[in-house]
Amino acid sequence: MAPAVAVELVHAASLVLDDLPSMDDAPRRRGRPALHRVHGVATAELASVALLARAFEVVAEAPDTTPGARVRIGRELAAAVGASGCCSGQAADLSADPAAVTLDDLEAIHARKTGALFVAAVRGGAIAGGAGERLLTSLTKFARNLGLAFQITDDLLDLEGDPRTMGKDAGRDAHRANFATILGAPSSHRLVDELLESALAALSPLGRRAAVLADLARVVRDRRS
Amino acid sequence: MTERPTLDEARARLKELGYLDARVDRLLFRPVFAGRGGAFLPAILIGAFAAALAAVAAVEASETGFASSPLSVLVLFLFVFVGNLVPAALLAAVLGAAAERSRRPGLDATLAALAAAGVIFGLWITGTYGLARELSLRSLIWGIPVAASALFLAAAVRLGFLARALAASGSLPGRQARRVFAAAAAVGLLAAILLFATRREPPAAEAPRVSPRKVPTIVLAVDGLDLDGAGKDEGAARQLSAGAIGWWPSAPASPPELWTNLATGASPAAHGVRALARVRPAGSPLALRPPFGTSWLLRGIGPRVGLVANAPVSGADRRRPDFWEVSASAGIPSLSVGWWAAAPWPGATVVENRMILARAKSGVEADRIAIGIFAADVGNGFGVGTVYLPGCDIERDDPRALGEARRGIETLLAEWIARARRSDCVLVVLAADSHPRTPGALGRIVVFDGDASPRSVRIRPEDAAPSILARSGVPAARDLGGAPVAALFAAGSVETLTVASWGPRVVPAAAARPESDREYLEKLRSLGYLK
Repeated sequence: MAPAVAVELVHAASLVLDDLPSMDDAPRRRGRPALHRVHGVATAELASVALLARAFEVVAEAPDTTPGARVRIGRELAAAVGASGCCSGQAADLSADPAAVTLDDLEAIHARKTGALFVAAVRGGAIAGGAGERLLTSLTKFARNLGLAFQITDDLLDLEGDPRTMGKDAGRDAHRANFATILGAPSSHRLVDELLESALAALSPLGRRAAVLADLARVVRDRRS
Repeated sequence: MTERPTLDEARARLKELGYLDARVDRLLFRPVFAGRGGAFLPAILIGAFAAALAAVAAVEASETGFASSPLSVLVLFLFVFVGNLVPAALLAAVLGAAAERSRRPGLDATLAALAAAGVIFGLWITGTYGLARELSLRSLIWGIPVAASALFLAAAVRLGFLARALAASGSLPGRQARRVFAAAAAVGLLAAILLFATRREPPAAEAPRVSPRKVPTIVLAVDGLDLDGAGKDEGAARQLSAGAIGWWPSAPASPPELWTNLATGASPAAHGVRALARVRPAGSPLALRPPFGTSWLLRGIGPRVGLVANAPVSGADRRRPDFWEVSASAGIPSLSVGWWAAAPWPGATVVENRMILARAKSGVEADRIAIGIFAADVGNGFGVGTVYLPGCDIERDDPRALGEARRGIETLLAEWIARARRSDCVLVVLAADSHPRTPGALGRIVVFDGDASPRSVRIRPEDAAPSILARSGVPAARDLGGAPVAALFAAGSVETLTVASWGPRVVPAAAARPESDREYLEKLRSLGYLK
């Protein structure tokens, strides 16, 4: 449970940061005013740091987990957040020239900004459960494919989604390059399907034990918000 | 913005970057999310398609000139395709239930796919093996499209199975090696080659060696003659009680089926005549029998859209020779008047049923015409002569006409029984009813052979033809359903030699006679045969 809580804390911190005026300057999040709009930018920044710190605290105190596993989970989480994860992905996203961005650029941004946390979430849980390297490799494949599918779906929702069901404003990323704008909606949908197929197939060594993870693929494909 | 990559380019690049790295069946994912019910739809359609292709391949290998009529091919294909949709759907339902409970979906899906492909190969191989008289290279060439369709079916079944298993469990196996299916197709083709190559052709027809008989064999075939019920024909019953009687329990059948059983010594499955009317692709000799539940389609809609036509049963539908055809082939001048599914035959004088009925307005008149033709011709040196009399069957609901028909029969019986008593002929009376009304009614063969004493033995309807032929000096065929019943005839008069087979009946495809067919069908309706 502890790794899941930690990932959620990191995720929440990243959303607070993402909405800041210096980042995406988003007015709403999950159907409600963004944190910085209610409590101010400084409080939002401090809250984000606090959430991150709490995440590592939770991992360090994780019950029923070996010390070695706690270290490994903490490392996975740090990699997802730090210079090889969300932070560098966000930096690349902010500095990208929409007119010159390529598929490789997009992948590099999303792999770090979104995919890294997917990978950390899945691997963290698996490490806590004592998974071996082969299983971790399969789960990493699952998470990478699922993460990219999630991001492309996010781009598609921004292009086609209904603001009432999304809980945030649509079209906010229209000026930015993303998979949906580069590939077009039909090809992006197709790519989402194929990525989810690959994600599901990567779970095959786990059989029915991976049913919950497989359901996530369905959630990603059917998400409307 | 840089130039837009295509989907293929994006896919390729993402693969290089480590995504899309699983070996999966691309067609699998969509059906799962599209809904559980749709998962087997492609398998059902491809299954019906493959079965139809296998049927066409088998028929093409056996029916000379079948493929030269594209309409025939199309109709047969559509016919089998539609007919197989229901069984395919039922099998899919079974597979779906199995998939949802499967603990090893990958393995089970592969086994189900192999079984489905095996069914298609089985249909093709057994169909071709059973129908074709000669297995040529062309028979094997048909194996290529059949194998391709079986492979498609295997893939569709496997995907459907996996999709249903995935929908139920969320567990998706990786892609199996396609070589399994390719190997299965190769095994199927190899099995076909081996079976076809080692197939023993049916025994060649031996030229019947005839032991000449001094007197002709006369066969009077009387349909609908009631010899058992409360209103039975007392006069005929009395006349026939003086003969040697072979009997069998009556069972309802169409008149052509019953009387062809008696005339060929073979079962309907062997001789192929079952109904009064068949459905034919326009201009084709091929006759189709609608599978369960599809009659409305073929008989109801087919003729309206011009794909098929209803046609009366004919000699072209019969695959085994009638007894007069065998005797004629053996060199015995033979006469046949009025039988169902009769056709012209070398060495025989054949007056078809339709020719009699075309001139008759009633059953009584049909009998009178048939008897007239028979009486005029039978004295011309025939060794085997037969006449079929439908009057009692047609007039069964009209007491006055039935009485008249019975009087005609009694007169005829009296005449021929008297001749038999004088040893001018061997008389065989076939009295059977295709619509028995009395429980426990019997069909009978009654023999008057010189001074042989009356007796009664149980026989099979299929024993009639070989008995008639054996008494006429023609060896019976061992591949028949029936055998000669010597007890019915004078001691030592029945030919004891046998031959392996009288061979298949090979008849050139008859030219379609749509005008004549329509008239005949109308006549059958007016006489009460067809509703």
